[in-house]
This record gives sequence, structure tokens and C-alpha cells, in this order.
Amino acid sequence: MRETAYCFAADLGGTKLAAAIADARGGIVAELTEPTDRRGAAYVAEQIAACADKLAKTVGIEVTRASHVMVGIPGAIDPRTGRVSLTPNIAGLEDFDVLGFLRGRFGPDVAIENDVNLAMLGEHALGCASHCSNAAFLALGTGAGLGLLIDDKLFRGARGSAGEIADLPIGRDPTSQNPSASGTFELEVGSLAIVDRYRRQGGTAAATVRDIFRLLEQGDEVAASVLDTTARWVALAVVTLQSLLDLELIVFGGSIGVRPELYERVRRALPAHFSRPITIAPSRLGDRAGLIGAAWAAGQALRQNPGGAERANLK
Amino acid sequence: MPSPPIASVTRQLSRRSVFEALLHRSPISRADLAKVTALSKQTMSEVIDAFEQQGLVRAVGRTSGNVGRTAVLYELSPDGGHVLGIDLGARRLTVALADIAGRVLAEADEPTDSRGGAWALDQIARLSDRLARDNHTHPSRIRSIVMATPGVVNPKSGAIEMAPNITGLDHLNVVGLLGEKLGPVVLENDINLALLGEIWHGCAQNVDNVAFLALGSGVGLGLYVNGRLVRGENGAAGEIGYLPIGGDPLQAESRLQGCLEYQIGATGVVRRYREAGGSDVDSERQVFERAQAGDPIAAYVVDETARLTALAAAAVIATVDPQLLVLGGSVGVRPDFADKVARVLLQLSARPVEIRTSTLGRRAGVVGALSVALRRLHDEFFGVAELAARPLPPPTQRNARQ
Repeated sequence: MRETAYCFAADLGGTKLAAAIADARGGIVAELTEPTDRRGAAYVAEQIAACADKLAKTVGIEVTRASHVMVGIPGAIDPRTGRVSLTPNIAGLEDFDVLGFLRGRFGPDVAIENDVNLAMLGEHALGCASHCSNAAFLALGTGAGLGLLIDDKLFRGARGSAGEIADLPIGRDPTSQNPSASGTFELEVGSLAIVDRYRRQGGTAAATVRDIFRLLEQGDEVAASVLDTTARWVALAVVTLQSLLDLELIVFGGSIGVRPELYERVRRALPAHFSRPITIAPSRLGDRAGLIGAAWAAGQALRQNPGGAERANLK
Repeated sequence: MPSPPIASVTRQLSRRSVFEALLHRSPISRADLAKVTALSKQTMSEVIDAFEQQGLVRAVGRTSGNVGRTAVLYELSPDGGHVLGIDLGARRLTVALADIAGRVLAEADEPTDSRGGAWALDQIARLSDRLARDNHTHPSRIRSIVMATPGVVNPKSGAIEMAPNITGLDHLNVVGLLGEKLGPVVLENDINLALLGEIWHGCAQNVDNVAFLALGSGVGLGLYVNGRLVRGENGAAGEIGYLPIGGDPLQAESRLQGCLEYQIGATGVVRRYREAGGSDVDSERQVFERAQAGDPIAAYVVDETARLTALAAAAVIATVDPQLLVLGGSVGVRPDFADKVARVLLQLSARPVEIRTSTLGRRAGVVGALSVALRRLHDEFFGVAELAARPLPPPTQRNARQ
């Protein structure tokens, strides 16, 4: 049977943009990935719309058939206003009406959601958290973010900033020095912090965290020590989450979080820090978790409210 | 489970909406009840007749002043059923009795039997019986009992675990033994109930997203989101005492008592005062009193306690983003302490949150226990599982403290 309704999903990151057209069950039909337009929010928004056009052409449908849209945004989204905040990686995004722009292009059935929340949804729908009602997706990469699933539902907080764990008071004591606007946990485990730690401990050849992982494979002792330290900070954040929320599973994702060299170190560190067991696992969907979650969420919206699809068919 | 037949669900829905209207709008006439509930006059007559037979409603007078015939006014009968709320604290045991409309009839408290275990359970039964007897309430009229307790109830053994401040409850079937003495008792974490108390009748009314941070003998957290408590996978959500803040999370005391609680729980405050060179004190309260009297060592310990509490609050805010943070517990309710916490938090968090101190103070737990006991009683009479419960109205009469 020919599909009559589609959705469009995108996962916007600081360095790359992934997009997909999915069927009414949220299953991805076609997808692409591009470097994020560096010129800022307005260009990025146009880029998202252009991705939809390209994908529609690939699938051989009018882009208007993709009536339901879900876009993952790397920031906190206020549930009442739709305002985006805490997005240092995309210039101008906080002052740009993303939702308004997308509705102008795609119609009313557009939603935006925090990217890590969508990764959590993806793992819950199709990944390693499918059996869980209470879980978290811990994204570690350039920064640190958290998606929370409580009683089978996304948990966004009063202002949409639940899980903004960059601010966790885990790391160097924030009250003993000049308190800065950015978060303490991220200052210990963000990619810049890891590279900086490597240099401070006498390492020389690393420009990126990927370099450090490569050096680790070659037996570099400084790299091993740096990852040990990083894993201890991450373990403290995991203990914090477990104490507060008593989760069944914490999924590790993001470019650094999925590396076994990191999460195995965290796993080994946990028993000494917490008397009850804590289950952690690497993301099964990897760097596609956010996109898969977005497609799944758009598909769910389409099934619950197919009206948008009917409108599209009338055209 | 088979679903009930449609007719019985409809009847139950009618009964529930009439009951809710009586709960929120008493005294009220049959005509006004019919208007509010949009039920037919005939259905209304049937429901009211049934309620009268069950002793749930009573006539309290007639409408007056308006043109036309006067009408009988009804309210929920105080004899319709009673509920008991119990708060078993490490230091104090509190018991309260309320009627089906949420009117608090009596309340009593005494120091918790320090021997703990079976002695504490005997004390609970004795105090509850006395309260009921003094109010001429036969035990059979008490239809729902909820008890607030520290720690986590093990659903298999009925024991109370992770409650180091009351001895001997971790190897007793508390649920079973109290059931034999008082009838079925529902146990719930004390912080969760204190939070529900504040939502029902305290400083957190009409707020959807609340974190309640309690600091006293121990430290605990209750989370309420979109009308529900967050309990976690094993009922251990909010065990904030185990946050890796304030000390070395790898040391033995941290693993046993919790890293944060070892520092800012009552014994931690006393210990840190002594370690900092303070003279002997019996309780953390004395440390706070001395700080106010100008003792610089005590002031330092209090400031440090506030700083660590603010760090814990910052972890809560970063993780769950509450709309309101309530500080409770014997230390948390001190206004000077809450001010210190708020000041540190302003430095720490880019997104400060509104902070209030508990208005129910040490009654928060027992008030929360009453609210849950009432909700359970209402559900037993009128519950349709699929219906979301409306919030209870505030009690119409303040407590009659004994």
C-alpha cells in the first residue's frame, strides 16, 4: 500500500545537522547529514527547510506531504513560550523564533524539542531503554546534557531546563572561586576540559578528544590518566542522578559518552561511590538516537492527530 | 481485570461528582448540586438518598431570603468516616484525626520512644487509640490510615529500610504489625508526605512542579511533578543524603550514611562544630542558637551547612528544574538559614528558582498523611480508576491541637 502520510524529522547540532523523512510509524525512509551552517540561526533554519526539500525529492513526494515535523534543538525550550535558551553552539538561536519560522514553512503541526530529550525518546522507543519507565540519556561530547524519562514520559521541568546538567555542582568547588556563568560539571567533562587536562598533565600531541582516544590505544599513559579523572567526575554525576531519581538505566551517548574507553571506566568507578547497584549502558542508536527519536515523536504526533495530513492531501 | 459494566461506572461517576461538589461547596441544596454536576433531578435524588442511608451526608438547614420555596441544604456528615494520619519521626510522633470532609478533629504528639522498633509501634497504637477515644470515635469508624516514615518501605518484608535515625524498624514487619494493631495502614516516605501536606494546605498550593528539601535529623528530597510524586524505580528517588557533595564520597561514612547527610544531617552539624573547635553540644539546634548568640565557630558551621545545602539545591535545580523549592525540616524552616541558602544559590545557579520555607513546619508530614488517607477513602467510596483525582480542598477548620 502506498504511504499517504509522512513526517519530517531533524536533529540540529552545533557541528552537524541530520534530517529524515519518516513514515506514519516514525520509521525513517530517507535521511541525510550536513555540516551545520556556521553563519547562525537564520541560515540554519533555512538549511533545515532545504533538507526537507532534498529528502522529499529523494523519496519522490511533495514536501507538503510531510505534515508533521519534529526538530531537535541543542538547548532548553520553555514549554510555555517556545523560547530557546542555553544554546552557545549556534549563534543567534536564542533570539530567533525557530518554531515560528518552521510553522511558516511546514504548517501548524511542527514541534521543537531538546535534542537530548529526543535521544532519550529514541532509546525508549527503539533502543536500549525500551523496557524502562525511569531512565536517563546522558550525552557527553562538546558539552554535557541529559534527557529524562520519568514514568514513561519525558520530564522537561518547569521551564524546560530539566537535565541541563552542565550546571551540576560536580567538579572544582564553584563557591571557592569566581563563579562563572557556565556550568561546573561541563567545565570538568566537556571536550575542551578533557583536552586541557591532557595538556596540563604533560601530554603534547592531542588537539581533540578523538586524538586522546587514539593515543590511549597506542598506550599513552597520560591519556589513560586523563580518562580516569574524567570518568570519576562522570561517576559522581551518575551517583547524583541516581540519588535524586532512582533510575532503572542511564544510557551513555554523545561522541565521548558512547566510547567504551570512557563508560567502562565509569562503570568500574561506580561501586566504590554508591552502595546500591546502578545500571549504565552505551546508546544502541549511537549518533542517530536524536534523529530516530525525532522521527518517532513526529510519527506519534501524526498518528494522534492526522488532521495535518488530510489538509496536505487536499492541496 | 474485567472492566465494570457501563451502568455501574456511570453510577459511580455520578456519585463521585456529587461527592466532590459536596466536598467543595457545602452546604448546598439538591437543586444547586444538580446544576453543578449537570445530573438530572432524579439521579440527584437517588444519589442523595443513598448517601443519607450510608450516613455520608446530613441536612444542615434550609436556604433563606430568596423568593420561592426554601430548600434543604446538605453537607458531608462528620460521621461519614474518619481518617487517621500518623507521622513517625526520629524525635517526635504525631497523630491526627480528620473527618471525611477533611476537617481536622484532633491532633496529638509526643517524643518518639527512643528504643525504637516494637516500642515505637506500641506507642503509635496507644497514641492513635487515645486520640480516637478522646474524640468519641469508635475505631471501626476510622476507614483509612496513612503513616509517614523516614526511609523506604520494603514492599516484600513490610520493613522500613534506610532509616538510620530510628532503630529496629529494618527487621520488623512494620506494615503487618501496625495492621494488627490499627487495621490496614499505608506507609509512605515522610518527605513525600510533607511535600503533599504543603501542596494541600501549606506554601505550595496550586504549584505543579515542586521540590521539597528537608533538613533536620537527616536530609531528604520530595519531588512532585504534574500532579504526581516522583518515586523512582525502587521507591528510592529523593535520597539526596547520598549526593556526592560536601565530603569524600569514597569514605566509609559516606557510603553508610550518605556523603551529604554525613556532613549536614544533625549529627554532622554537631560533629563539624566539635571538629572546628567548638565546645560540647547536644544537638544541632544548640549550634544554631550559639551562632545567633555570636559564637564565631558556630556561625562558621552554620554558614558551611547553608553552603552545602545550596549546592544540593543547585544539583536539584539543574536536574529537575522545579518551579518552586520548599525548604522544610527543623533546620530548613529557620528563616535565617533559608536566607543564607538563597544567597549562595544566587551565586551558583544561572536560573534561580523561587524558594519558600515550609509553612506547616513539623506538622507537614501529618497533614500530608491526612491528605493521602482522605484521597484513599474518597477513592474507595467513589473511585473510578481511570479518573484523574481533583485536588482536595483545604480543610475547613484548623487543627484542634491537644
